[in-house]
Amino acid sequence: MAVQMSKENRLVRHLPKILTYLVLSIGAFVMVLPFIWMVLTSLKIDSEIFGDSLKWLPGQLDFKNYRDAFVQTNMARLFANTIFVTVISVASQVILGAMAGYAFARLQFKGKNILFFSLLATMMVPFEVLIIPVFLFVRGFPLAGGNDVFGHGGTGLFNTYAGLIFPNLISVFSIFLFRQFYLRFPHEIEEAAIVDGCSRAGVFWRILLPNSKPVIATMALFAFLWSWNDFLWPLVVVKKDALKTLQLGLSLFNQEQGTQWAELMAASTIAVVPVIILYLTLQGFLTKGAVTSGID
Amino acid sequence: MDVVTQTRATKQQRKSLGQRLYKFYNSQTFVAILFLIVPVGLLIILKIYPIFYNLYLSFTRYELFEPPKYVGLKNYRYVFENSVTRQSIWNTLLFTIEAVPLGAALALIVAKLLDENFYGKIMYRTLYYLPVISSIVVSAMIFRWIFNPQQGLLNYFIGLIGIPPQTWLSDPNLALPSLVMVTIWGSIGGNMIIFLAGLQDIPGEVLEAAKVDGANALQRFTHITIPLLRPVILFVVVTFTISTFRNFGLIFMLTQGGPLNRTNTLVWEVYMSVFGNLRLGRGAALSMVMLVMVFILTLLSFRVLRERQG
Repeated sequence: MAVQMSKENRLVRHLPKILTYLVLSIGAFVMVLPFIWMVLTSLKIDSEIFGDSLKWLPGQLDFKNYRDAFVQTNMARLFANTIFVTVISVASQVILGAMAGYAFARLQFKGKNILFFSLLATMMVPFEVLIIPVFLFVRGFPLAGGNDVFGHGGTGLFNTYAGLIFPNLISVFSIFLFRQFYLRFPHEIEEAAIVDGCSRAGVFWRILLPNSKPVIATMALFAFLWSWNDFLWPLVVVKKDALKTLQLGLSLFNQEQGTQWAELMAASTIAVVPVIILYLTLQGFLTKGAVTSGID
Repeated sequence: MDVVTQTRATKQQRKSLGQRLYKFYNSQTFVAILFLIVPVGLLIILKIYPIFYNLYLSFTRYELFEPPKYVGLKNYRYVFENSVTRQSIWNTLLFTIEAVPLGAALALIVAKLLDENFYGKIMYRTLYYLPVISSIVVSAMIFRWIFNPQQGLLNYFIGLIGIPPQTWLSDPNLALPSLVMVTIWGSIGGNMIIFLAGLQDIPGEVLEAAKVDGANALQRFTHITIPLLRPVILFVVVTFTISTFRNFGLIFMLTQGGPLNRTNTLVWEVYMSVFGNLRLGRGAALSMVMLVMVFILTLLSFRVLRERQG
């Protein structure tokens, strides 16, 4: 009897936890199902996809769709372009963000606050709103693409790697993130270095930047996702096949292929898997970074 | 002797010139200029100058191959009088109203459930975050397949509970809700992370005290957690709203503004005016309307925050 009671008690006590698990699992299933469905579809043959009843699992393990998608989209080129654009964008956003963040957090100069807050205010302005002037600026870039000194006559940086990368060189968010980090960074180390004869620029390059790994990792991940997944700007600024990025190439493949679902899903899988792998590997580092950055 | 003192003197002079140069080089203002010139210059080109140039363009007729011509308020009159552009403003608001409250609430619930310590917490957090790291293009391709009227997964599931198959993206009444579905699916993970950070800042003693006073879990959530979380909720609502205003990729990939203009939002209308019809002045006016909407929203949220704190 007593045993019975405690068993019931245990059930009641654990009920909230069981419910939590149940609700979370259903939700997680809904979040992940589209990806599972993508992978399953990518392995199927047409008769399995267009059959009368829905078939969950592919009948064989055949990577033909992957080969077709890889060749038809010229995937190697798309990847190379995207990696090139992303690496430069990430490096630029991190380094310029860290430099500006250091200046705003650690240096005293006239007009600092007004400058910082006017930059911060632009964070609210969506890029989509400014696409016309930015496009015109890139197209009218002086002495590029057949343009004269005043930016007339040619197409400027339109249809070039430089044009593709240009709006991704800087992010206000990065400046903000590094500033917050450097505001909390202990002053003693910096002062000791200056007493020992280190210049201010040296303090930044030798002491602050090497100790910013958590912020660098966080910012690099964000910048990577923005640049890798960027779609509107490449769509607008690139028309040449040789310059197309992964997202742009995929969207065109999507329009051309219509209902070739297996190949479309294979292409999607190829595009999304590297991002997921990178996120999972960086994630451990990011949580560690968050823990250590909380200590100071 | 003379020569030696002379060289020593010039050496000292040189040294002091070097020192003065170094002092200048190492002054806070100079280092600040050195470190800020590139980032600030880029931001002026990419963010500040475009706002003013866009404003100027919105008062002109500009079709790219001839210089802009001043036309006064003509573009704005068009935006507010033409039925299609008016509908695009309305669709933008409708999209936000359908997506933001529901999406934010779901993200808050997930965050609350994940706020406890239990086995597998990190795995759940990762799974909920997966849609965020997938690109809009990939998400749209997957959902175009899921929404497919013949072999789509969604029609299969609603068939299980006896609902007849729908055409989703080509149904004028279901197209926008379908986009809302994808948007919510893609946004829960990101908003969840922000809510989780907010939940961690709520002092445990307050919740503990309420528990001692006999408040149950739901009461603690509605009477303590939500009021204390108000600034974070406001932040999520504002950023999420702005991101729905910007939602271009899904519309490009899934509906192209159709059917019957039902998914034609402001950002799509801007894109079509500029890169479809080469009417840059009109596109600039439409973007200014979008900018003003973002601006009003941001100001309102600041005001709400200040009233709460004041």
